[in-house]
Amino acid sequence: MINSGLFASDLTVSRAEQTLIEGAELHLAPSSITYLYGENGAGKTSLMRCLCGLLPADQGSIRWNGKPISSSDSNYFNDLLFLAHALSMKAELSIMENLHFYAKLRGVNNANGLIQQAAQQLGIDHLLARRFAELSAGQQHKVALCRLVVEPAKIWILDEPFVNLDHQTRDWLANTMMEFAKQGGVVLFTSHHEIEQLTIDQRLSLEH
Amino acid sequence: MLLTLLKRELMIARRNWIGLAIPVFFFVMVVSLFPFAVSPDAPVLQKIAPGIIWVAALLATLLSLEQFYRTDYQDGSLEQLVIMSSPTLVASAKIIAHWILTGLPLVLISPLLGVLMQLNYGVGYDSVAEDHTVVLMLSLLLGTPTLCLIGAVGMSLTLAANRNGMLVSVLILPLYVPILIFGASTVTASLENFGYNGQLAILGALLLLAMVFAPFAAGRALKISVS
Amino acid sequence: MASNWRWFHQLGSPKWFFEKSAKWLPWLWALFFILLGLGLYHSLWVSPQDYQQGHSVRIMYIHVPVAALSMVGYVAMAIACTIGLVWKMKMAFAAARAIAPVGAAMTFLALFTGAVWGKPTWGTWWEWDARLTSELLLFFLYLGFIALHSSFSERNKADKAASVLALVGVINVPIIYFSVKWWNTLHQGYSLGTGGVADEFKPALFIMIAAIYVLFANLVIMRLRAEVLLREQKARWVADWAKGSEKGVKR
Repeated sequence: MINSGLFASDLTVSRAEQTLIEGAELHLAPSSITYLYGENGAGKTSLMRCLCGLLPADQGSIRWNGKPISSSDSNYFNDLLFLAHALSMKAELSIMENLHFYAKLRGVNNANGLIQQAAQQLGIDHLLARRFAELSAGQQHKVALCRLVVEPAKIWILDEPFVNLDHQTRDWLANTMMEFAKQGGVVLFTSHHEIEQLTIDQRLSLEH
Repeated sequence: MLLTLLKRELMIARRNWIGLAIPVFFFVMVVSLFPFAVSPDAPVLQKIAPGIIWVAALLATLLSLEQFYRTDYQDGSLEQLVIMSSPTLVASAKIIAHWILTGLPLVLISPLLGVLMQLNYGVGYDSVAEDHTVVLMLSLLLGTPTLCLIGAVGMSLTLAANRNGMLVSVLILPLYVPILIFGASTVTASLENFGYNGQLAILGALLLLAMVFAPFAAGRALKISVS
Repeated sequence: MASNWRWFHQLGSPKWFFEKSAKWLPWLWALFFILLGLGLYHSLWVSPQDYQQGHSVRIMYIHVPVAALSMVGYVAMAIACTIGLVWKMKMAFAAARAIAPVGAAMTFLALFTGAVWGKPTWGTWWEWDARLTSELLLFFLYLGFIALHSSFSERNKADKAASVLALVGVINVPIIYFSVKWWNTLHQGYSLGTGGVADEFKPALFIMIAAIYVLFANLVIMRLRAEVLLREQKARWVADWAKGSEKGVKR
């Protein structure tokens, strides 16, 4: 039993009657970046959604710092930041309002400064008052990435965060991930390409 | 937490107010079809008014459910909310917002429909005590929240289903029957000069019962939908 | 206590159920036909005519049993759904899915025989009688369950979502029943006397109720067997069974 970070044992995950992962054990330690790779349909997203507590596992336990993630004293869902394929932003709200809402759910009451700072780093600070629907696809993606700076979290689970990003933003994201890991954060991400800027501590491969 | 969630729902709705006005227009329009279809005679209209207005309110509530749940499911917000908050709270916020933005407007506009349907036919101008409109409003005030609560469960269950919006109606309409019975009969009792407190009390009891079970069931359903 | 739990677990095993139920079925069918024969003899020959309704009272011997089973079926389905949701027992979900169409069929038969009975007694095929109306709403609830269950591409989700609906439905069934009853007295609809059944009708009625119970169980078991094969199609034992049945080997 490992009592730090995210530890899953005897994990069986299936989706649409298909067993994707059977009896797997995985450990995501603090201060580490884990790269999850595999073909399309191998179950990367399902595994991530299972680790986020969305998709119930068929079997096995998932523990955060030694406590089952579903128990309230593990505080897992406050520590978790999950960026999925869908950007989870409301088209009707402005960038500021969207980010502000997520920060507020985390208990961050004065997020304006942080949002400003994140937007500046990503070069979208002039767009903060615009509605999400008015932005280009690339800009929308950057808005979702701002959440990494604005919301306090201890574990990041990122589904294809590097897809459709320009060079500058890729560098920014790689640096942000490494900085987060340096401060004790846990990172799990998927990608179809190697990210050369990134120091990866652990590689997990999923096969059919 | 609940307040934050509720504020978000209301803010999104404010930007999309036409979408919210549609159920109210629908409510008025459906009711105004009946004089054409049945008869413009005041006594006839008065007799069928409680039933017509209640059925229209029920359908308007049902049709307005979609916009509170569907987009959140489609753009991924729902799974974020389920992770970051609790499903029951998310469902509660949506139910409250849905009622404030459709149930309450229906209650407020119902006097107009009372006029169209000759609800006060034969009642003197100055007799406030005999005003049936007040009774209609009271019955809707106690009944529409229950419609929103039960509707939330049905809507949450069908989010991940690969069928269109008709499915939720099929699931929910039989469950709406008790509310329809007591809602409409409250007004009918008033028209026939009977006491209607008993019906109102039952509407209140149904509301309490739904308040206990529905947010939990809807939360559970949301969790299943995002899994 | 320990043996009780073993029984629970065995019933939860699809393979165990599939093998055992093959042995139960012939006996259960035999029991059904004996009860049906006895019941028909009693209801068609032994029991007297009603002094008001004449021979048409005999419709009761099919109407009452199917109406009873339509309600028992819904409750059984809700219990199976609860077991499925709480103990995550997959066989319980399969059972709920197997019960639904059989229950819906019972409800339909109750409505149909009610209409057939209504024509000679009330002079109309349909009357908004409290019990018939409740039966109609119950039919809608069954249809809702089946419609919801068949609307998902993933069986896991379908099972859970439909189960939540069944639970919400079962809380509502008594509320619907009492409100419809209240509504009915308000409008003074026609209703058959509820003073109970006279003694001379009872033997035939009870035998028929027993027969329909057994029929219900048989149909559910048969559907559940099909459901088990469908759900366990990737399991080794199903493949072995299928091979065996292809060659005509005794299974």
